[in-house]
Amino acid sequence: MSLLALSDVTIRYGRLTAVRNVALTLAEGEVLFITGPNGAGKSSLLRAIAGVTPPAGGRIDFADHDITGRAPEDIARLGLSMVPEGRDVFASLTIEENLMVGAGMHVKESNWRARVTNALEEVYETFPILRDRRHAQAGLLSGGQQQMLVIGRALMTNPRLVAIDEPSLGLAPNITDQVYERLIALQGQRKLTLLIVEQSSTRAMMVGGRMILMRGGEVLIDGDARAMGQSEAMQAAYFGYGEH
Amino acid sequence: MAKRTSIAGRTIATPLILSALLLAFALLAVMVGSKPFNQTIIDIFLRVILVVGLYVFVGNSGVISFGHIGFTCLGAYAAAWLTMPPMMKQTLLPGLPDWLIALQLPYWAGAILAALWAALWAGIFGKVLMRLSGIAASIATFAMLAMINTIYSNWEDVTGATSSVVGIPILRSIWPFLIAAILAVFIAWGHAISRTGLALRAARDEPTAASASGIDLPRERLIAFIVSGAIMGMGGALFAHSIGVVTPDTFYLGLTFITLSMLVVGGMGSLSGAVLGVLILSSLIQALRWLEAGVSIGTSTFAIPNGVQEIALGIVMVAILAFRSAGIMGNRELGWPKARPVAPATTGQQQPELNKGVSK
Repeated sequence: MSLLALSDVTIRYGRLTAVRNVALTLAEGEVLFITGPNGAGKSSLLRAIAGVTPPAGGRIDFADHDITGRAPEDIARLGLSMVPEGRDVFASLTIEENLMVGAGMHVKESNWRARVTNALEEVYETFPILRDRRHAQAGLLSGGQQQMLVIGRALMTNPRLVAIDEPSLGLAPNITDQVYERLIALQGQRKLTLLIVEQSSTRAMMVGGRMILMRGGEVLIDGDARAMGQSEAMQAAYFGYGEH
Repeated sequence: MAKRTSIAGRTIATPLILSALLLAFALLAVMVGSKPFNQTIIDIFLRVILVVGLYVFVGNSGVISFGHIGFTCLGAYAAAWLTMPPMMKQTLLPGLPDWLIALQLPYWAGAILAALWAALWAGIFGKVLMRLSGIAASIATFAMLAMINTIYSNWEDVTGATSSVVGIPILRSIWPFLIAAILAVFIAWGHAISRTGLALRAARDEPTAASASGIDLPRERLIAFIVSGAIMGMGGALFAHSIGVVTPDTFYLGLTFITLSMLVVGGMGSLSGAVLGVLILSSLIQALRWLEAGVSIGTSTFAIPNGVQEIALGIVMVAILAFRSAGIMGNRELGWPKARPVAPATTGQQQPELNKGVSK
């Protein structure tokens, strides 16, 4: 039984087609990397799944619900948490306040407090640095810490699937390693399903899991990241088929 | 552990320190014991109430409001209606309903009702305005101020139009003003650390991420607008009792800009900034006024030329903003020196902590 299923999904911005007839399924507990060069449609696909930009055609199912065109907060309520590109922390709030907001402000105050108490400990265990600096202003954190904070914030709703857009963007490689180490540990511990967009497929090959490679709005390759290695098809996808 | 997570326990230092500061100003007035100085301190407390009221909305939402002095106007006239002797109301404001003409409440009851009256109108205006953002919202709040001013300047039977409404009981004691200012500080603090305050501050920082967390921005803004409207209304009522006279133009552009500049100079996103902005700029204005009036040194009198006060104030404000564009306090709040682990406690450990946090 798949947790997430896309069939025939097409995304357009005006006359530009960003994603063309993509079909994809993701099982519970799976790690899927969506890789590909600039403009491949990776982020568009992620945003459509999270409900930020509704698709022009096709259907998206999550946890046995048709979520095509549903509002992001509805989709989030079903257990799909999105971490957008760019580490948008609430800069003047403390780490802890950021996480409290992440627990969801639409729920009743009593439920929210209960959720904060439970989830906060769990996030702090995953990212101990956040506990150590819990009362520091989020805007003053380093890039890596901010990335951990936005992931931590997405975990506060106790989601089944976390979709992350380019977690390595602008981070030093060793910091990226640390972020991934935590993510994979989390996936192992609580059967969390991960959907990660990365431009570089190297990261996917290092971390392992399943990987799809997109180019020009289509899925070119779908398979085990490590097995794919530096195959011919990969290189072709990145550098083109010689038509330029 | 649960105790440590409570935001209230961790931030209570801010309103306590600010209250102590205000108390110090009050004690200074008592010690000096001169009538004009007493009045100066009362004016400072009034501005503290107004600027703190402004902070509740502007500071937490990030939307500049040019309209809040309108609520002060509503509060001041409400206090006049509720506390003037019936005889005077009969002559000056014959258009008031009979029950209101007959009513004469003590000042504190009048101030509470004035706050609720202003809050009611903040709710009505806010319901419409809070869907707007940025400059559109600011201009709309300005339109609201202009509307209130125009109505109060023309509704002769009820507001006395542009002529002064006199006969409002005058309060000479400094304590009611001190208590109201401290009350305003605690209300503002309570709002900022509440769930709705948290949501509003989050949305100010990152609107998109905030809506993804399920924050209903118009609703949270409306709550802040109503709370700040109530504080402005209370400030207006006490303003009326401090001078005993109200006119619509007392509560118009002049007061709007002086309160906004105090907030900006102090630091828009900070309650401490709101209070310090008032205390610092007011002290400066007062010092310059004394210099303008002339200071006797020995047998000669030293005085700066008239008008230097405004110029110097302008220069100081420009200088503060040039060096600290986020205001004196920025986004920070005053706290106990020990209770702030931000500075020395963690910076030393920061490196090892980073490694401990992520390398294992």
